[in-house]
Amino acid sequence: MARSATTTATASETRNGGLVIAFLRRYSVWLIFVAVAIVLPWILPGGAARTVMSQIGVAIIFALAYNMLLGQGGMLSFGHAIYFGLAGFCIVHLIQAVQDDELIAIPIWIMPLIGGLVGLFFGCLVGYVSTRRAGTIFAMISLGFGEMVSAMVLVVVSFFGGEEGIQTDRAYGTDLFGLIDWTKDIHVYYLITIWAFVAVAAMYAITKTPLGRISNAARDNPERVAFVGYNTQRVRWAVFTLSGFFAGVAGALHSISFEQAGFEMVNVERSGAVLFMAYIGGVGLFAGPVIGAVLITALEKLITDVSHAWPLYLGLFFMVVVMFSPGGIAGVLGLHERIWKVDWRILGRLTKPYLRAAGATLFAAIGAVCVVELTHTLTNEEVRTTEMKLFWMATDAASVWAWLAALAILGGGIWLCRLTYPGARESYDNAIKTATDRALGK
Amino acid sequence: MEAVIFSIFNGLLYGMLLFMLSSGLTLIFSMMGILNFAHAAFFMLGAYFAYYLTGGIAAVLAGLFGGAGGELIGFLIALVAGPLLVGVIGALVQRYGLRFVHRFGHVAELLFTFGLFLLIEELVQMFFGKVPKNYKTPELLDFAAFSGGGLDYNFYRLFMLVVAIGIFVGLFLMMTRTRFGLIIRAALTHPHTTAQLGHDVPKVFMWTFGAGCALAGLAGVLGGSVLGTEPAMAVQLGPIVFVVIVIGGLGSLEGALIASLFIGVLNDLSISMDIKLTGFFESLGVDVVGAEGVMQDLVNLSSAKLAPVLPYILLVLVLIFRPRGLLGQRDV
Amino acid sequence: MTLALEMTDVRKSFGPTEIIRGLNLAVEQGERHAVIGPNGAGKSTLFNLISGRYNVSAGSIRLRGEEVANLAPHEINRKGLARSFQVTNIFPRMSVFENVRCGHLWAAGEKYSFWHSVNKRGRITREVEELLERTGLLAKRDFPAALLPYADQRALELAITLASGADVLLLDEPTAGMSHSETEQAVALIKRVTEGKTLVVVEHDMGVVFDIADRISVLVYGEIIATDVPGKIRKNQRVQEAYLGEAA
Repeated sequence: MARSATTTATASETRNGGLVIAFLRRYSVWLIFVAVAIVLPWILPGGAARTVMSQIGVAIIFALAYNMLLGQGGMLSFGHAIYFGLAGFCIVHLIQAVQDDELIAIPIWIMPLIGGLVGLFFGCLVGYVSTRRAGTIFAMISLGFGEMVSAMVLVVVSFFGGEEGIQTDRAYGTDLFGLIDWTKDIHVYYLITIWAFVAVAAMYAITKTPLGRISNAARDNPERVAFVGYNTQRVRWAVFTLSGFFAGVAGALHSISFEQAGFEMVNVERSGAVLFMAYIGGVGLFAGPVIGAVLITALEKLITDVSHAWPLYLGLFFMVVVMFSPGGIAGVLGLHERIWKVDWRILGRLTKPYLRAAGATLFAAIGAVCVVELTHTLTNEEVRTTEMKLFWMATDAASVWAWLAALAILGGGIWLCRLTYPGARESYDNAIKTATDRALGK
Repeated sequence: MEAVIFSIFNGLLYGMLLFMLSSGLTLIFSMMGILNFAHAAFFMLGAYFAYYLTGGIAAVLAGLFGGAGGELIGFLIALVAGPLLVGVIGALVQRYGLRFVHRFGHVAELLFTFGLFLLIEELVQMFFGKVPKNYKTPELLDFAAFSGGGLDYNFYRLFMLVVAIGIFVGLFLMMTRTRFGLIIRAALTHPHTTAQLGHDVPKVFMWTFGAGCALAGLAGVLGGSVLGTEPAMAVQLGPIVFVVIVIGGLGSLEGALIASLFIGVLNDLSISMDIKLTGFFESLGVDVVGAEGVMQDLVNLSSAKLAPVLPYILLVLVLIFRPRGLLGQRDV
Repeated sequence: MTLALEMTDVRKSFGPTEIIRGLNLAVEQGERHAVIGPNGAGKSTLFNLISGRYNVSAGSIRLRGEEVANLAPHEINRKGLARSFQVTNIFPRMSVFENVRCGHLWAAGEKYSFWHSVNKRGRITREVEELLERTGLLAKRDFPAALLPYADQRALELAITLASGADVLLLDEPTAGMSHSETEQAVALIKRVTEGKTLVVVEHDMGVVFDIADRISVLVYGEIIATDVPGKIRKNQRVQEAYLGEAA
């Protein structure tokens, strides 16, 4: 960005102008997100959209909290939902207590902090026991705790509400001189957004602290970390506890948003969902889980509207990522970092081969969706008819033609993939080589 | 007293089923260092396959010959074909899936099996429906073998017990007495050396994984009619198998056996004896009758209500006091 | 003056096999002490025992008079002993600078703090840079560690070991796999940066051993059979027998 060379400008003016520009550059990504988050409800109006956006906000916090464990700490947990859920339950009870005048009126916007403390408490407790082991056993232990809490939630009905869960009403009066009205979804959305930014900024800052750095080191080489003076178990325990805090924040926001808490907030499905978001988004980059949270939450909403097979699609998507792109979406983007750091224009050469490969993938995906949907209609015991709508076309799932078409699209898509992927791969390799050569000054 | 013995019998049976599952899991883990998250899903497949095989063959034979013999024949065929089918699927999964993901590390392998677990569950739900299947024990085997203290001991359950014991003995003998077992144990700790001795280690891995899954499938064939055949069965049983493994000590067959039996018996005894915790709370001086809310729930707890949670409480205790597990050898 | 490191009748068995059989070793403060011996004598086991990776089956290990046998590695490190590894053991995904900084954090008093950025600690940055300069890695400070050439990785290994501020250093075959010129540079580096510290080195390269060491101990079948100055060790009959067999 060119600085205006005004000779009449005073020294302090140009210095301040320079500071502002530097600030904008450094935090540009954050500022863009702030802008988008603020403006979004006006671009996509409507209650349903707002609910999804609130869910996305919560998911972002939860997925990033989870990644403190997985991506940064190297700990795979199958039971992280318990901090999310327990915080949610506590918050619902708190809100209800305020409603029943049993408690002083704690403002709603402090509730997520309290939720975080609940998560911190349980994270500390469970973490102390779990972090004694690492790797696969740690994962199994986390699953065990997850199941235990899930089972207890159904037993202690008075606190957890059994299978129905517990409900409350978050609207007690107005806050901040009558400006905030918690009956309005839009206000809750902004509450979530603000908390999301605070949480994300905090988690990002933690990665740059001594604990964050040592946690990364322990992920890659736990033995070495011990030999430079750190008790690796303590490191993992500390990270686990902090991760529980942020999961609790997310859980509290979730409960505030939906005004309820139920056993589905602590169960293995919820733990699996956040695992999927973090992994598909990419555990290696800080922003990866954010990508995953946004994508999966949005997709879930879109797909469950038109199909019953969302869990199957999610499972398939996850398997594809595990097998072919373990770095997730962020990982794929990260592979190109070396290129654009040298000269972003080299990326231009990748457009055509990538577009071709993407088109082939899309084709194959459509074919797969057709097959899945047809199968689903045929095997669905609840629905009598075999008629269905596939991509806005009325089809009969029992007809041979529909099946032939679906299989042909799928087969053709796979064939096209095999055709186009080598080309994309080659152009990537060339781009890397060009970038490396240029960096070395050839 | 007779009721206690009866419960112990049923508990041992449940424990042996758990052992069938955990032994396959231990085998795979000892061999390849992979904890097969999808193990319970193969168990579920075994049950479903057996249901359809038994039903299909029974229908065909009943049509031809009449009588209930078709059911028994169908079951016996399923007893062999079911595990085989599941084992083949397992071997294929290892060959084309796990082996491929191996290069990405342990976490990727575990996540692959996790995803596989969910995938199989979804597919089963899609193809076979969400409603539990009426998978019954074959009529000809469903009789009282003998009575003990006024309670009938079902022949089928005895049959299950015998098969399970036979498996353990067979496994133990195979691992310690046969050349094949020797190769497997060598490949466990020194895969490269074993490969250099001319043994096809990848193939050993594939067949071991298949065998482990076949064991799970066998447990499904046998246990499906007793425990219920529905898509949720894998999710219910899966975590308990992992608890068994961790408590028994990773990599130890004997440990898995002890832990399985213990948890099985604990489960059945706590349900049948239904010990109420009110007495315990009374001794603490808690006002049992007037308790409200959470206290009311806690005070009314009984061992039957706690039964699903007990294995996990056990897990926590073991982790605190003996993290290695009972007979653990391999450290992860 | 208390010995920097003293091992008394140390034994270590793995199952029925006794690897270390009554080992006695005395290393003086500020000394450069080499441990040599034929393959399989138990040199890696020795280091693993001292550094806490293994527990002893019997015997005592004292660090400056304080008993450290069977302590956890991080506890031993905090008492002032650090080790390097024969197979390079660095943090591959981090830059050179970050590698050394991670090695330095505990010694610098940072512990588990998560409330301030590690970049704001100017003192730590300076100390790390100083260490990088002493080990000749300052120019490559932002390189990803995994991409360094082998000799530089070994230098980084050394730098991480030094970063923990310990003054008793165990170096496990520091010149393993190096060419002749690389070895010369490595030896010069080691001498330079371990000025004033106590050094215990396991090495196979006799040239390096005789160049660096003040005293040499010879480890054979789990026992130290001789400890002396290099000149005398060369002439020691038992040593010759151990290496060359009876026909010496």
